[in-house]
Amino acid sequence: MVRVAEEWLNMCGGCEICILDIGEPLLDLLPQLQFVHMPVLMDHKYFGQTGEGTEMEIPEAEIGIVSGGVRNEKERHVATEMRKKCETLIALGSCACFGGIPALANQYVMEDLYEAVYRSSHTTDASPIPAEDLPPLTDRVYAVDEVVEIDAYIPGCPTSPDHIASALTGLLEGKPFSLPERSVCDECPTKRERKAAASFKRPLESIVPPGESVEDSRCLMELGYLCLGPVTKAGCGGDEKTPRCIRAGMPCRGCFGPIRKDANPMVDMMGALSSIGLDPRSIPDRSATFQRYTGAHNRLRPLPKR
Amino acid sequence: MTAIVDAAAVESPTELESTRGFEPIVLTFCCNWCAYAGADLAGVSRIQYPANIRIIRVMCSGMIHPNLVIDALTKGADGVLVCGCHIGDCHYQSGNMRAEARADSIRLMLEDFGIEPERFDLQWVSASEGARFAQVATDIVERVRALGPSPYKN
Repeated sequence: MVRVAEEWLNMCGGCEICILDIGEPLLDLLPQLQFVHMPVLMDHKYFGQTGEGTEMEIPEAEIGIVSGGVRNEKERHVATEMRKKCETLIALGSCACFGGIPALANQYVMEDLYEAVYRSSHTTDASPIPAEDLPPLTDRVYAVDEVVEIDAYIPGCPTSPDHIASALTGLLEGKPFSLPERSVCDECPTKRERKAAASFKRPLESIVPPGESVEDSRCLMELGYLCLGPVTKAGCGGDEKTPRCIRAGMPCRGCFGPIRKDANPMVDMMGALSSIGLDPRSIPDRSATFQRYTGAHNRLRPLPKR
Repeated sequence: MTAIVDAAAVESPTELESTRGFEPIVLTFCCNWCAYAGADLAGVSRIQYPANIRIIRVMCSGMIHPNLVIDALTKGADGVLVCGCHIGDCHYQSGNMRAEARADSIRLMLEDFGIEPERFDLQWVSASEGARFAQVATDIVERVRALGPSPYKN
């Protein structure tokens, strides 16, 4: 029996849904797995069931899964504790791997964020910043591997249940899990002619008309829809290969993150755009658009005022 | 190539820095055929230029991919100077024109990265222009010194 501990940090819960979404392969896995800690499913408190404890208790486990990035001191504490108690630690989802959507906040200094959320928001009454009984925020959003060492990454927003299943199956057999260094374009079925047919347009509805297959469509970027496929790691399609967003007739948003760990999607994307004759200058807010899911690791940072 | 850039950009503060305050590191890519010979001429003619310049010899200014410039500026260099042959003099016919086209997109990228575009410069230096190399080098070092350390230097 392999014990599994799961924790969610700064995230939405979508990756936990993904674990449940594994479907039938989960039935084959379950007899070998014992979930010892999983806040989304089980009532297991950190400091004893009635809060009588003084130290955080996370049970020991062979496999640890952490989803979500680190935004406050409590999450940092939980991540550290998970690392101590788990032999293999998996970062699940884009938030854990590279900060994800919450890391877009890394473009602003803390004072501006407080101002926007607690004081100048039109939908909220202005109020002081809450501090009582709350863990202090960290200075920015961190990916989990900036806080503790991570053994395997399963990116995606949310990720593909197929990858969770194959990572767990692999670990049970003692095999490490990693995704191949391929781009979304490598697995995209659309036809490329290497020349843009139009200038930039906004995708307000599915680009591929209902009933038509994506295989017959031309490359979405060449049609003028900004697609992050060239700089995004392949794998979102899971066992089905065809990238998920493309399958739905929409361009890639880049949730699987950079193709290689040290790649620079900002620079590579500029190259991909200009090579087919599109002008990067016409894209508003380039740094956040190209790094929508990868804001941690200091990739997104407040720009100096000039 | 990336390893060379990393090694040149990540340097411990010099002794000079402890006594004189901020000393910028300006990574300089010189093409083998004109600019490097120009820098060499500056040297053999004993023309003075700031010691903040770290020269990396490349075969052509056209081979400087934007990645190298961004890498240098985000990993410790305070400025990047690319020097090539004058337009029309390129040893490979049109390499420097490619460098010119790239310089344009490099400036755009620097803006997105929150790095002042003034930290990057592309200049033409021929093999006989030792004095010009010294001038170009002095200019960028002074400009970067005034800007202060790269925002990516922690």
